[in-house]
Amino acid sequence: MNNILKTPITSPRFQTPTTTVGSEEFDYSGFRNKFELEPRLVEMKRALRNGYYKQYRTSPEVDLLAECEADQLSWPQRAARLIRRMCDAQKAVIRPEERIVFTRTTGKIPPVYSKSQQQVLTAGRELHELGPISNICADWGMVLSQGLLGRRKIARSTRERLKNDPLAVEFLDCAVETVDAVLNLARRYSEEAAQNHRHDLAKMLDRVPAQAPRTFHEALQALRLCHAVLWLGGHYHCGLGRFDQYMWPYLKKDLDSGRIDVPGAEQLLAEFFLSLNKDSDLYPGIQQGDNGQSLMLGGVKRDGSSGVNELTYMALRAARAVGMIDPKINLRVAKDTSVELLELAAELTQIGLGFPQYSNDDVVIPGLVAHGYDLEDARDYSVAACWEFLIPGRGMEVVNIGAVSMPAAVDVAIRSGLTAGDSFEKILVRVSAELRSQVSKLAELSARLLLPPAPYYSVLMDGCLERGSDLSNGLKYNNFGIHGACSSNAADALAAVKTLVYDEGSLASQRLLDALNTNFEQDEALRKRLFDEAPKVGNDDARADAMLVKLFDLFADACEATPNHDRGGIFRPGSGSAMFYVWLAQGHEAMTVPVVGATADGRKSGGYFSSSLAPSPGVRVRGPFSVLKSYSKINYQRICNGGPLTLEVSDTVFRNPEAVHQVALLIRIFAAAGCQQLQINTLNVESLKDAQMHPERHKNLVVRVWGWSGYFCELDEAFQNQIIGRHIYGGPAKCGLP
Amino acid sequence: MAAPIKIHFALLLFQMLTGVVFDIKEFAVHDGPGLRVTVFLKGCSLRCSWCHNPEGLSPEPQILRGAAEERLAGVFFSSQELADRLNGLADLLRQGEGGVTFSGGEPLLQADFVAEVIDQLDRLHVLLDTSGYADESSFRKVAAKSQLVYFDLKLVDPVAHLAHTGADNQPILRNLRVLNELGVPFVIRVPLIPGVTDTVANLSAIARTVAGMPGLQRIDLLPYNLAAGAKYTACGMVFRPTFNECLESKVNLSCFKSAGLKVRIV
Repeated sequence: MNNILKTPITSPRFQTPTTTVGSEEFDYSGFRNKFELEPRLVEMKRALRNGYYKQYRTSPEVDLLAECEADQLSWPQRAARLIRRMCDAQKAVIRPEERIVFTRTTGKIPPVYSKSQQQVLTAGRELHELGPISNICADWGMVLSQGLLGRRKIARSTRERLKNDPLAVEFLDCAVETVDAVLNLARRYSEEAAQNHRHDLAKMLDRVPAQAPRTFHEALQALRLCHAVLWLGGHYHCGLGRFDQYMWPYLKKDLDSGRIDVPGAEQLLAEFFLSLNKDSDLYPGIQQGDNGQSLMLGGVKRDGSSGVNELTYMALRAARAVGMIDPKINLRVAKDTSVELLELAAELTQIGLGFPQYSNDDVVIPGLVAHGYDLEDARDYSVAACWEFLIPGRGMEVVNIGAVSMPAAVDVAIRSGLTAGDSFEKILVRVSAELRSQVSKLAELSARLLLPPAPYYSVLMDGCLERGSDLSNGLKYNNFGIHGACSSNAADALAAVKTLVYDEGSLASQRLLDALNTNFEQDEALRKRLFDEAPKVGNDDARADAMLVKLFDLFADACEATPNHDRGGIFRPGSGSAMFYVWLAQGHEAMTVPVVGATADGRKSGGYFSSSLAPSPGVRVRGPFSVLKSYSKINYQRICNGGPLTLEVSDTVFRNPEAVHQVALLIRIFAAAGCQQLQINTLNVESLKDAQMHPERHKNLVVRVWGWSGYFCELDEAFQNQIIGRHIYGGPAKCGLP
Repeated sequence: MAAPIKIHFALLLFQMLTGVVFDIKEFAVHDGPGLRVTVFLKGCSLRCSWCHNPEGLSPEPQILRGAAEERLAGVFFSSQELADRLNGLADLLRQGEGGVTFSGGEPLLQADFVAEVIDQLDRLHVLLDTSGYADESSFRKVAAKSQLVYFDLKLVDPVAHLAHTGADNQPILRNLRVLNELGVPFVIRVPLIPGVTDTVANLSAIARTVAGMPGLQRIDLLPYNLAAGAKYTACGMVFRPTFNECLESKVNLSCFKSAGLKVRIV
């Protein structure tokens, strides 16, 4: 036993004054000291970036089809068999520097049905994206506290109770099969550890994830394995939920008993974060990096008291020390969040990974309650892959069933309204009709949605084993989310028409129509006027902001007017744009709404739209305070699916000694202003341009793309260009002084 | 309903002045504590050869012709228009522990206008960022209404000052004494121009000048930025530095530390 373990550690754990955060008193100031990865983790990170782990992907690919056919398996049985075979196919890999193990040794996820069978199975129905259940979050706290054997026991007892219900029996047998597969995988890792004379590790893997962890280390190992198996089953965008809430009891016990000290715990935490980057190139997404390993920190507990604890701080520090794109850190804040916590978050913002992403409890929780969520559940919210709010363990929600194209709705309304000689009010009626038509198309799509059985994911959710019903049949919350994409361009177009054509009467309808139809080719003067002089969202200009608010109200009206779908849920409107800011402008095979040509905000055909909540690309705005003001006007009680306000800050801002404090204050006023969600991206345009020219020099350059961060050089050029063209606040230093 | 009528009447009594502003920058992180908006007032009497905001020199609005587009630098504001715009952000600025910074150019060239704007601000922290080159009454008027002053002190030697800035430094040194008498807290800002202001002789002289002044919070040293000449072409001007740009600024803290002064590099 070393000295650290002999020293009794009691709170406060740093020898400096204390502050009170919520109900728990502890000291934060020690957390401002940067910590660095220990050498074994530095080496692990280097190996990760070099793709070192790919060398282990040598296991023969699993082929399930023949076996599924021979055994005449049902769909749930095939889903369970997939988990079993994939677990069995994994070779145990234990590198000497690893204290938290699991490395994937197979690449592809094999199909459980042939193409033609799949067609029969899904006839008249629609699979969401790739098919398997995705973009939700398990109740990791429950899974850890019960252990997989605890879950298995519940499955067995429910099976006994429901033994006359063949569907329930089949589901529960499948669930047990997946539990046994994971336990078997853990056993083989344990054997490998023993062979490598890693007896502590072997003992740990004998214990978890079968039983409830006794230590922080065991809890991290259990989570690593249970989470990684989700990906083996073809699930993706697998969230990590409120990590500092469910992990804290294990860490607190260790810290209180002196089993571990803060620096030691932080190194373990950092290793866990690194481990989430091992296999992430195998995870499906729109582009590499879009893998949805979101991790939520902070916020209130289910009873409304502050949930911020030492792990909240440690996780922010560990994420900064790790400096990789996974996990994607989210932080819940409110107007009274301590500035110390915000400063630590700002230090993570500073390194330019594009996270943490901030959510405002003061706005999100009432918004969820207004949409039918129980208050206690609403207080327990986390985010899906990007930004959509969901309740871990209790939501089988499809948070991005699709997007309405606000620019398309507005453009159709403007062109047809001006042609018909409408009043401006009638143009708004047309916008409303367009939005309703788009929402109802998405609602039709959702009615055809087919969610495949997910026996293993069901083990990890609340109530599936208890009820004997697969996750795909629904949970407590079964809502659909719809993005309201590219709102700023749409609002600017409406504001330009209202101001110039209707209020001032300084622009003839026909001239605008001609210009739109010819992509401004013959009327550049008008385009400039629309682009430079018409009111724009982001300037705290009532004329433009009123249009933004109106658009979201009309969108919410459309969602509220849509009957609940047959899975019993509502349609939640949101403000995100995901990849739509490029797809809606330039076309994409996945889009059903038409590509929008030149628009009345002075944007030429093909130009990118605004991403989530950000001013239209290229327009001059006053700065981040006015941007916050503009977007604070949206009625977020009605717009609760999420979608962040995005501020791009020049990295030169951080050359100022007070920058961290100032960025912390910026986060505070975001909350105080009543905005919902915030991303602050730190950008250096010169380095981005250089990275386009010389990708080899910028392998590690990370940027925020939409709801996720990725390596810049691995992005498609269109997205690279969009990022380079984004607004940046905090340019050159001021006058009179160098 | 008496109070609103009274306020309205008071506003009518204002002799509404107009000023020329060449930029209003939100989240100006270098311009004082907390979250700030900086108003850049156009016009300056100094001609520091290292000035990197040449569009702030002339008091008149002018067109900047950049490679991509033209931009008008210089917009007329009435004091009420400017105050309204700043007050629109007042709640955020107060919650952000910040306020408004008046910079330039030289804000004191439009001292009456700035004073009138300050009088109409809604409980906002005011920082005056000045070269100190102004007549005494202008200086007193605005400094007395400010909660903090950033005061540039470039060169103590009058001959060198004239050579590099085109102006006498006596008004600056006098205003520094006035500032000290006023009791408004202030920060001394020293641009470190290679071979000009960064010499031991000059920095020691600055230290001697400010030592013992009770309102002095600290000294900020600002190393020279090579991008200083970037905007001259757009302004139709030629950048003619009176020093060797390629030398690195010497950052010498000891002149200040030995005098017991708080100093930092920004």
